[in-house]
Amino acid sequence: MRLFLQKLLNGIAIGSVYALFALGYTLVFSILRVINFAHGAIFTVGCYLTYALTGAAFGRNGQLRNADLPVELNFWLALALGALGAGVLGIIVERLAFRPLRRRGSDPLLTLVSSLGVAIATVNILQYLFGAENYGFGETLGSMRASVELAGGELPVVIRTKQIVIFAVSMVMVVALTAVVNRTRVGKGLRAVAEDVTTATLLGIDTDRLIRLSFFLSGVLGGIAGALIGLAGSFNYQFGVAIGLKGLAVIVLGGLGDIPGAVVGGLVIGVAESFVPAEYNAYKDAVPFVVLLVVLLVRPQGLLGRAQVQKV
Amino acid sequence: MLDFLNSQGTVYVSMVLGAVLGLSLYLPLLAGQLSLASPGFYALGGFVAAVMSTKTFDVDGAYPVPLVLVEFVVAAALCGVLAFIVGLAALRLSGIYLALATIAFVEVLRVFSLNLELTGGAVGIFAIPQPFGTQLSYLWLAGPLLIAAALFTWRLEKVRVGRAFAAVREDELAAASMGVDVTRAKITAFVLGGVLAGLAGVIAAHQINTWSHRQASFDASIAYLAFVLIGGSRTFLGPVAGGLFLTYLPEWLREQAKHEFLPTWAAEFLRTGRFIVYGVLLAASCVFFPRGLITPELLDRLKRIGRRRSGSGGQSVRPEPEVAT
Repeated sequence: MRLFLQKLLNGIAIGSVYALFALGYTLVFSILRVINFAHGAIFTVGCYLTYALTGAAFGRNGQLRNADLPVELNFWLALALGALGAGVLGIIVERLAFRPLRRRGSDPLLTLVSSLGVAIATVNILQYLFGAENYGFGETLGSMRASVELAGGELPVVIRTKQIVIFAVSMVMVVALTAVVNRTRVGKGLRAVAEDVTTATLLGIDTDRLIRLSFFLSGVLGGIAGALIGLAGSFNYQFGVAIGLKGLAVIVLGGLGDIPGAVVGGLVIGVAESFVPAEYNAYKDAVPFVVLLVVLLVRPQGLLGRAQVQKV
Repeated sequence: MLDFLNSQGTVYVSMVLGAVLGLSLYLPLLAGQLSLASPGFYALGGFVAAVMSTKTFDVDGAYPVPLVLVEFVVAAALCGVLAFIVGLAALRLSGIYLALATIAFVEVLRVFSLNLELTGGAVGIFAIPQPFGTQLSYLWLAGPLLIAAALFTWRLEKVRVGRAFAAVREDELAAASMGVDVTRAKITAFVLGGVLAGLAGVIAAHQINTWSHRQASFDASIAYLAFVLIGGSRTFLGPVAGGLFLTYLPEWLREQAKHEFLPTWAAEFLRTGRFIVYGVLLAASCVFFPRGLITPELLDRLKRIGRRRSGSGGQSVRPEPEVAT
C-alpha cells in the first residue's frame, strides 16, 4: 500500500509536467492541424533561461564560459521570466517556420521540417553558448524543506518539495489555460480559429494575431514545463528531444488537439511509467510509445475524443 | 587526387547511403503513405549485419564481400516481414497519425535494441569486420545499391503497380472504386521502403564499424523526411539529390572552417556551431523552395533545353498538367 501510494504520487508529479508540456503541443495542433516540432527546443530554452536568471554558473565548455549575468533572481521570478522568454521564442518560431509557409499555402507537411530546422538551430545555439555538459538546479529551493513525509510511521510516503512545486505549478497553468480558452473573448476567438481558419477570418477575427497568441501561450507552457523537469533532475541541451517525443504520445493518447485530453493523457502516461516494475526499468522509455501505438491502432481519436466521420 | 578522394571516402559513402534512405521514404510516399519508419529498418538492417558478421560468420582478415550479400538477403527478408506487419497494422492510419505511429515504432525498436543482449545493449556492437581496406571502396556496394534503387523507382512509376500507387496517393476512394487494390498498394509501398532502408543499414554497419541503438533516432526520421521534401517529392531524383546534398552540407561547413582568411571566431563557429547553420538552411529551404529543389517542371525545362541544343526542336511538348496534392 505504501509503495503503491509512493508510486502513484511520483507518477502524478511527473505526469502533471507531461500534461503541461503536451498542452503546448495540442494548443498549436488544435488551431493549425500541424505539429510544432520546435516545441521540445522551446522547452529546453525555458529551462536554460530560468537557470541562467537564477544567477547560476555557466559551465566551462560553451562560449559563455566564465560569463556572469548581473542578475540573481529567486526561482519564482526566474521561472516567470524564463516562461515569458520561451513564449517570445514561440512567436519567433511561428514567424520563421510557420507563417511564411502558411502564406504560400504550401503543404502542411513542410512545417514538420521547417519547425525541426528551427529546433536544430535553437538547441545548437544553446550548445554553442552553454556547452554540452549537464546542468542542475541546486538540491533545495531557497529556504524550503527538501521533502515532506506523509502518513508517518516507520516507512513514510515521502514527497519531495520539488514534486509539490511541479504539481502545483502545472495544475495552476492547466486551470489558467482552460479558463482562458473557455471563459474569455480571446478564448472564444481561439476556438473559432480552431474550428475553421477561413470562416473565422471571414467573421472578422484577426486569425494571424490569434495564431501568434497560441504560439506564445504554447511557448510559455513549454518553457515552464522545461524549468520544472530541469528542476527535478539534471539537464543538457538535448533533453528536449526525449520529452518532445513523449509529448507526442501524450497528445495522441488524449486525442490530438483536445485540451482536457492532453491533461488526462499526461497523467496516465506519467503514472503508467512509474508503475513499470523495477526489473523492467530499462524498458520504461518504451511505455509511452507502446501506449501510443495501441491507442492509434485501437482508438485513433484518443481517450476522450469522438470518432470523426469521414466525409466524401 | 586519389588521396583526396580516399580522405573524403566516409563522406561520399554517407552521401550515397543518404540518397538511398531518401528513396526509402519516397517509396511509401508514392502511395500516399507518410512513413517515418526508415530509421527503424535502417537500424535493423545494421544489426543484422553486425550480429551476423561478428557472431555467425567467424572470418579472419578481410571480410568476404559475398557474405555481405548474404547479409543483404537476410536483412531484406527480416525488414520485409516486419514492414509487412507494421504496414498491415497501420493501414487504418493516414497523414500525421501514420507518421506518429511510425515514429513510435522506431522508438520502441530503439528501446529494445538498447536493452537486448543480442544487440549489445547501450554500447552496441563493436569491431564489425570490414570487407574493404579503404572507406572509398564501400562505394562498390553503396553505388550499385543507389543506382539499382533509383532505376527501380524510376521504372516503378511507369508500370501498373506504380500507377496504382499514384492513384492511391491522389485519391484513395477514387482509386478503390476504379478497382485498384488499395490495401495491396499501400503494403507493397511500405515493404519496399523498409527493405531498402534495411539494405542501407547493412552497408552502413560495416562502413562505420560499430552499431548501436542510436541509429534509430527520432531526429533521423525527420532528417530523412527533409531529404525527400527539400530534394523534391514529385520525382525520384528529388530524394536522391536531397540525400546527397543534405548529408554533405554539415561536412562542407566543417571544411570551410579550414580557410585561413576566416577570423578565428568565424572558424570556431563553423566548427562547433555548424548545425546552427544546418538548421537555419533546413528551415529556409522549406520557405524558399516549398516544392523542393528538383520539381517535374524543372526536369521538363532541362529536357526542352537539351532538345533545343540537339537541334530537333520542331515538336512542342506540353508539360504534364499539375496535379494537386
